[in-house]
Amino acid sequence: MNSKPKIPSIPIEGSISWEDWLKGRRYRRELSQLVAPGINRRKTSSSDRRLKKLFNGERGLPFTPTAKL
Amino acid sequence: MDAERIKSALADITAEQDPTLKSAKLASLCSALWAERGVDLVVVGGSAIEILTEGAYASGDLDMCHATKASLSVAERKEIMGLLDAKGGPRNWQVAGMYLDLLGPVESFARTPYRRIEGPYGNFLVTKPEDLLVERVLMSFYLGESKTAWKCARELAIVALAGAVNMDWNEVLRVANRPEYRNVEQCKVLVREVADELKTKNPFDSD
Repeated sequence: MNSKPKIPSIPIEGSISWEDWLKGRRYRRELSQLVAPGINRRKTSSSDRRLKKLFNGERGLPFTPTAKL
Repeated sequence: MDAERIKSALADITAEQDPTLKSAKLASLCSALWAERGVDLVVVGGSAIEILTEGAYASGDLDMCHATKASLSVAERKEIMGLLDAKGGPRNWQVAGMYLDLLGPVESFARTPYRRIEGPYGNFLVTKPEDLLVERVLMSFYLGESKTAWKCARELAIVALAGAVNMDWNEVLRVANRPEYRNVEQCKVLVREVADELKTKNPFDSD
């Protein structure tokens, strides 16, 4: 995979627009899933008590499926 | 930012059910309000990794640090977070259906700039992927093996190798060679591994 990226890159200098960052979400998720499939959220942390209280026993909101990004 | 704009932003963030968008929008709003008072905030930790990789990693708290030398006084924080109907403080708040932790001054060794996103309520900064990659590789081995930290580092490497996030690879090596890390070889192994899987050029190859 040496072709140019399909989406605007998050640059080193300057900024990326909100719209371009949104456009890249699906591609970034697809790439991440290639090397770290599934949900990678830690199972525990020192914030568990407050997180599980707020998110009905979970540590955060559910991730949006890749197809819907 | 006027009260109506803040109210509208808060309603939008509270209703947001995508965890990454919720974090990014809250970072945008808080960064704008802090910047009005002369303090730059930067997203760090798992939230920063999520914004850069969409790696399905972050939990329901947003970690931010201040990138400017001074932060705001407790009274100023109370005033700003009061505008957002936040509970708690002065360093941790429940706000808009999630948590915000303000951790203190940011730690960074990379000479590259913080990444900048033009958020819906104002620009916000994200910590440098060069720092994040080296730090996650360190965390992979620091207290025994951490598969989660290794996965995060792999996610950062692949988005960079594919060009979705621009990474300064020379800076990665320079930071990894610092006494705080000394993990150049582990970083090289990880990047080579991911480059091979992606069938792309390893930026650490000399030719």
